[in-house]
Amino acid sequence: MTTVLSGGADPLISLTGVSKRFPNGTLALDNVSMTVPKGQLLSLIGLSGSGKSTLMRHLNGLHKPTAGTVKVFGVEVSSASSKQLRDVRRNVGFVFQQFGLVGRATCLENVLSGALGRLRGPRYGVWSYPRTLRREAFDHLERVGLAPQAYQRADTLSGGQMQRVAIARTIMQQPQLLLADEPVASLDPESSAQVLELLLKVATEDKMTVIVTLHQVELALGWAHRIVGLRDGRVVLDQDARGLSQTDVMEVYRRVDRESELLATPSTPAAAPITERQRA
Amino acid sequence: MTAAHVEPLARAAGNKLPRAPRKWQSKALLAVFVAYVVGVVWSWMYIDMTLLTLFGGFTELWNLVVDMVPPNFDNMRVVLKATVETIWMALIGTTACVVLSIPLAFMAARNTTPNPVVFAVARAIITLTRALPTLVLAAVLTLPLGIGPLPGLLALAIHSIGMVGKLFTEAVENTEAMSREAVTSTGAGKWQTVLATLVPQVTPSFIGTALYRLDINLRESAVLGFVGAGGVGFVVQQHLRSLDYQRAIAAVGVIFVVITLIEVVSTRLRASIIGDHLSSPTKKTPRTMARERRDHRLLVDAVTTRRLTPPWTYERLVRASAGIIYLVLIVVAFATIDIPYLSALGLGDEVIDSFGRLFPPDFTTAGPELWQGIRETVAIGFIATTLGLVISVPLGILSARNIVVNRFVYGTTRLFMLALRGLPELIVAVLFVAAMGLGPVPGTLALTVGTATFMAKLIGDALEEVSPEPREAVFATGASRAQEFVTSVIPQALPNLVSQTLYMLDVNLRSSTVLGIIGGGGIGFLLLSALRVLQEPTVGAIVIVIFVIVYSIELIGTFVRWLVE
Repeated sequence: MTTVLSGGADPLISLTGVSKRFPNGTLALDNVSMTVPKGQLLSLIGLSGSGKSTLMRHLNGLHKPTAGTVKVFGVEVSSASSKQLRDVRRNVGFVFQQFGLVGRATCLENVLSGALGRLRGPRYGVWSYPRTLRREAFDHLERVGLAPQAYQRADTLSGGQMQRVAIARTIMQQPQLLLADEPVASLDPESSAQVLELLLKVATEDKMTVIVTLHQVELALGWAHRIVGLRDGRVVLDQDARGLSQTDVMEVYRRVDRESELLATPSTPAAAPITERQRA
Repeated sequence: MTAAHVEPLARAAGNKLPRAPRKWQSKALLAVFVAYVVGVVWSWMYIDMTLLTLFGGFTELWNLVVDMVPPNFDNMRVVLKATVETIWMALIGTTACVVLSIPLAFMAARNTTPNPVVFAVARAIITLTRALPTLVLAAVLTLPLGIGPLPGLLALAIHSIGMVGKLFTEAVENTEAMSREAVTSTGAGKWQTVLATLVPQVTPSFIGTALYRLDINLRESAVLGFVGAGGVGFVVQQHLRSLDYQRAIAAVGVIFVVITLIEVVSTRLRASIIGDHLSSPTKKTPRTMARERRDHRLLVDAVTTRRLTPPWTYERLVRASAGIIYLVLIVVAFATIDIPYLSALGLGDEVIDSFGRLFPPDFTTAGPELWQGIRETVAIGFIATTLGLVISVPLGILSARNIVVNRFVYGTTRLFMLALRGLPELIVAVLFVAAMGLGPVPGTLALTVGTATFMAKLIGDALEEVSPEPREAVFATGASRAQEFVTSVIPQALPNLVSQTLYMLDVNLRSSTVLGIIGGGGIGFLLLSALRVLQEPTVGAIVIVIFVIVYSIELIGTFVRWLVE
């Protein structure tokens, strides 16, 4: 368990003392430190506004930390040059809650845009991508079960289908790390189960490291190796998913001052580092 | 204790505070209204337009109409050639404007601007280009560039940046940011991201704006000939000067037909290119159903055979052919328009020189006339708006289908208005000047006609959209038709009417700065005479005055619109 938590010899991600204060004064992240080893499936949980999305956006340089360092694939993202940053981003797939598809473009074009990091120069329209990439994009659409919709506009699809196109775009990137920011929060229960299953199947088949934020605790417990809980920008739970009960996890969602209570019960050894920080 | 004291105070302040600005705003609105009324009374006295001159004008107009019949079409070759030139000018001018506006829009949009300095400069260019009317710009450009279509299309291109650049910027700012963040996250570069996510979102609106501006520019380019800047306006003016009214009306007829035709085509194109549901039309006819079946078959074939290029669906065919037709037209336009390209390249220095000679501006030589011109310009704007409004109300009511039940009445009214709107205001003005002689009265009447027909259409449309429930409720009480109209229809349509009146005042004040160029009164007349005798510093002064008038109207208009909202 220790190895899982602290990472092996070669952690894929390491955050040291990361804090983020937005220009409007909100402290979104407060001294977050953690490492993620290669191949781990990690689930971030916490209330809306607890800093989950902000943390994710630090991992591919969409946000820069106010303090601390973020290292991904050994590159310090916070101070990387724009070329280094592009290299990092190319290897980090990002799946968003709102899909981030271009509604007016066809599904195929949307998938192809995942290859932009590999290409030089601007592209516009299917014809501007090499034929090999077009074939590849078709394969990825097939993998998510949407090849028949290849030439349909993305905004004609259902929510679940759109998220599957977004997943195909991510596969197109061939990333080592997959970040999914509440990927199924805007979907109905049935499609959210399907989409999440697809996402994890693809990620494990392609040996990606995964960080996903989820609201559905039972889903998170079901498949994740490790659960990290955030509250007000601080890590309040960081544990192996095995041996963790749903009630333990639910504590993270308690809005009122149950934090002290949670920390006071030494039910799990992993709560120790948090207690230390709390005392300091 | 203190808290208990503070609370009622805070609540009282809380009650008062939100109301205070509203009070200030309604006072300001009242002031605007009073200023408008004062403006109208003063203008009426200044122009000294009595009802008698108005009716006198109508007899003179009737005489002109009599002189124009029958139209003489034997000069058609010249007219058609000039009309084609007019179209090419509008096409090239609009294209140039679009090409210049695209980078400007990305620089001026908050979400894409590279840095604050570029942002400010781009915004300034967009605002300033709008403040010089096309005709003024064209007239000044004929100084270095000489007579011909070149100054005309340059003026069209420059002036249009104001509107097109503004609408393009709004389109860029209205794009959603999610897809941009998503594609940036894949490691795509800045330009790759913009092209993959923003461009597909803005293209339809860009094309729509460009087509709309093409319509406007066609109308504008039809009158550029009045200052020698190319196009069919020159032919009309020549015939009018030589009192050859039958040939003049023939040329005007051609202009009317061409403008109307192109407007119909561009409106349909706009609807179909912007329309999100081109491939699934609302009306199911055998033809559209066959089209849908074909599209469906193509799409199925494309994915089963894993075709690597998009299939040629109806929508794609329409778009591609519209694009090809446009390309062919623009090439023909560039190839056949009468511009000496090679020597035009060397004219850059001359343009700079000639603009240099406008400075320092000389406000003293034409001092008193300048002042008089400003007052006349403002007076024309006020009277045309008010008079137009007064006429438009009955006209608008007659054209509303749900108020006037007689099919024939609203049909003919609509047709009459459509015909009048089909002609550019300055063409109407030049005909009025021909009938009544130089001066502010014909100019005012021309703008009045424009305002009346425009407002009448708005009123007619607004009345047709008035919700029927309150009307039924009033009818149910046993009210007469007139009573019902006053109590239920007018209040519903009033707010929109007020803001449209302000908009028309803005438009009319702009137009009245150029009316004088064709002898319709106002400051434009001074501009033309100063240009004729090459008093360049005076031209500079007049241009600055026009610029200031138009720019202040724009500022006041923005302020009042903000007040109303």
